[in-house]
Amino acid sequence: MAPTTCFNCKEARAVVIRPKNRHKLCRSCFIEIFETEVHETITSSKLFFPGERIAIGASGGKDSTVLAAVLKTLNERYNYGLELILLSIDEGIRGYRDDSLETVKRNAVQYDMPLTIVGYGELYGWTMDQVVEQVGKKGNCTYCGVFRRQALDRGAERLDIKHVVTGHNADDVAETVMMNLLRGDLPRLSRGTSIITESGASDTKRSKPLKYAYEKEIVLYAHHRQLDYFSTECIYSPEAFRGSARTLIKDLEKIRPSSILDIVKSGEDMAALVPGQAPGGKSCKSSAPAAGAAEEETGGCGSQNGRSSGGEMAAMEQQLASNDGAESRETEIKMPKKGKVSVGKKIKTQTLQHCERCGYISSQPICKACNLLDGLNRNRPKTAIEVGMEDEEGSSTLMRQMEHVQLTNS
Amino acid sequence: MSDSAIGGVAPIPITVEFTGGLEILFDNQRKYAISLPGQLEDGSQPNISYLVQYLVENLMKDQRKELFIMEENVRPGILVLINDADWELEGEEKYELQPRDNIVFVSTLHGG
Amino acid sequence: MPAKELTGSCMDCKDADAVLTTRNRSLCGPCYQVFLEHKVYRRMERYRKYPDPGSPSYRLLLPLSLGVSSSSLLRMLDTGMNRQLAKNARTSYTIEIIAIEPFTHAYDEALYTKRFEAARETFSKYTFNRIPLHSIFDYVPNMTEAMREYVGSQFKDDTSRSNEERLAAFRGANSTATSKADLDNVLFTQLVVGYAKQTGCESILWADSDTSLAAKTLAGAAKGRGAALTWQVSDAMSPWGVRFDFPCRDISKPELALYESVSPDLSDIVIPDEPLSENILTKNLSIDELMLRYVTTQGEKYPGVMANVSRTANKLDSYSSLDSTICSLCSAIVDNVKGNETGITVASQFSVQKPQFCYGCTRSRPEIDS
Repeated sequence: MAPTTCFNCKEARAVVIRPKNRHKLCRSCFIEIFETEVHETITSSKLFFPGERIAIGASGGKDSTVLAAVLKTLNERYNYGLELILLSIDEGIRGYRDDSLETVKRNAVQYDMPLTIVGYGELYGWTMDQVVEQVGKKGNCTYCGVFRRQALDRGAERLDIKHVVTGHNADDVAETVMMNLLRGDLPRLSRGTSIITESGASDTKRSKPLKYAYEKEIVLYAHHRQLDYFSTECIYSPEAFRGSARTLIKDLEKIRPSSILDIVKSGEDMAALVPGQAPGGKSCKSSAPAAGAAEEETGGCGSQNGRSSGGEMAAMEQQLASNDGAESRETEIKMPKKGKVSVGKKIKTQTLQHCERCGYISSQPICKACNLLDGLNRNRPKTAIEVGMEDEEGSSTLMRQMEHVQLTNS
Repeated sequence: MSDSAIGGVAPIPITVEFTGGLEILFDNQRKYAISLPGQLEDGSQPNISYLVQYLVENLMKDQRKELFIMEENVRPGILVLINDADWELEGEEKYELQPRDNIVFVSTLHGG
Repeated sequence: MPAKELTGSCMDCKDADAVLTTRNRSLCGPCYQVFLEHKVYRRMERYRKYPDPGSPSYRLLLPLSLGVSSSSLLRMLDTGMNRQLAKNARTSYTIEIIAIEPFTHAYDEALYTKRFEAARETFSKYTFNRIPLHSIFDYVPNMTEAMREYVGSQFKDDTSRSNEERLAAFRGANSTATSKADLDNVLFTQLVVGYAKQTGCESILWADSDTSLAAKTLAGAAKGRGAALTWQVSDAMSPWGVRFDFPCRDISKPELALYESVSPDLSDIVIPDEPLSENILTKNLSIDELMLRYVTTQGEKYPGVMANVSRTANKLDSYSSLDSTICSLCSAIVDNVKGNETGITVASQFSVQKPQFCYGCTRSRPEIDS
């Protein structure tokens, strides 16, 4: 085949075909257009203000590495006036996190950004290696996910930074939309699609500047700019990527490459139609029904950027089966009772408070991290957690299941 | 597979790279120099489909083939670059390999 | 389905022998019928109240494909109305049946006619009609204009040709399996709605099972039609002023198949579904097919999760389309839903964009710029 020329400059050889519009671009036009689009996302959603100090949640993986590289480029090109700081979480996993942290350390030098590393050890008194030693390999992702959520906020707090950006991309958002449709969780669908999540109870906000960027283009951007990133599975959750929602997203992309953004578009429209949700898709403030940003990423482990795992469906099914306990017995009700048909649009609500121990935002008097720590410190995990450990991959939904049980009991 | 080559046609030397986490499936080695037969038994030239099959049978150390191929093609979520260009620009699995081609397989499925 | 041999008597009537197990209960055929029928009647609550004396009963349209779901729904509604008649000598609603002749694949017309006539005979109280898809030009007023605009300049609509040929040319202009299937759904819905309006029906009773609704929900989201889910899979007013209801939404496809199997009067009517073809590569499937496969296979392991999908979509608020432009083809809103101000706009994704089509329809347009 004769080489295709670039759709944009009409000169150089095209090396990229864009998923969203099938435009064929050369290396330099692709890089420039990719950056310009992130810039447009940032300006149209008024993500930053001049002089703002921003912590980039950096794992050393492709998404956060590209985020750091693009933000540095744009900050200089368009004079955003941002102070960019890399913030990494050290879960304390030898042979995995210490390697990826080396990548982040190199990034700090390459991008000339200060780096702060916050360790589980110092925050919680437990590294993941120690947690695994205590609870075993199964179920440890639950701990990691819960600890991680707080760690970014605490790290930001320590740096006196009010805004953390994360590397979530369009594929992640699309997956969140699909997962939450399956899970039936509209408030979470709404939070997952909004570019900024802030919580009334905390002054740290989170945002995802790469929300509209295809994972494929992120990888290609890293490749063509020869960015230095780290890509190995966490040794404690190998091949977590074999998750059903992720596979579905990739199959969809194969069938119709635009569909990832099409799902994001659907998700945004649906988010604006979630009952009790204040209109304003731009930022998702934590009003009564929506728990705050802190609750957003349940069990998302660092290496997986919050993506789902294959066992999630099984856990969901279990949860739904317990919900439907009453319904399955309805054969005994011979005639439907008048007015009993529930057609009301009810969405579960949560009230937020501060954890009595650590002050972190929580839907319960004691936050999940403190709960887990209690178990660890008492040298025996809680019974409920042991149940969840039957299925390692399902562990990320465990907290949600517990949450559910607690909610329905109250 | 090399025995399917027909004598007299020069073999095709190429380089193959695995990145983005795929290297784990290939003995943690990122770059391989390999040589493909210049012509296959049926008279056709080796293409990407042939290469993928060749890699699975000869280079892949991991038993879990489904992490690399699906429906006899590269698994969705793995990018293929032919001399740095997206394979979609070059005819995907039907692209016929040329001497000194550099083929890169990049996983997008590994963590970010 | 757990259709294994059972010993013991029905847990409901405690009399007849149980023939099947569903949701952990062993039941006889008639009790199973009653069980599913009540699920449908619960969803029909709004039409089971008698209108004021003197005013006519509700007129509802039931699109009949002669498949398992719509044939079963027809039987269930008939049973319900017979009960009303026996009790009150009148029914709170009447149904009209419309069959759109198959158009997505070659079909056995003689068999179809035989089954259709069998249905008409079995349920002789009701008005039956069957029309081909190309009668859309008769039932949908602006179809010709919308079609020409949609496909663009390279498509020559020749009005001297038959409607059948014109529609075939229009449908043939779409290249991908996804776009074809998406557009066919739009045309099908438009035709049924057009028919409902012409015959004065106020609601359409779609026979989708929870399986089918879950697939439609996921596919709708994947095709950028998320906002339209508030009526495409929800019990709500559609943009055409005709209500959509899904009385089988609490019943899975296997449960409907079980209903058919214990209802001998349906055996001469139902045309079995085409089995999902085994040897199609994923990339050649349409998104609708992919999702149906996903929901069907996952539904075997996780029926609860799949059942929950359409319930979730059904909880969304409906949007007001009063101050929005309506898509000339599918009647969804063209702009983002109010409240989604910073979302992706269609315009930014395409070099050629027509202002009268929604995001989903634009995505399915034949590619003109590549």
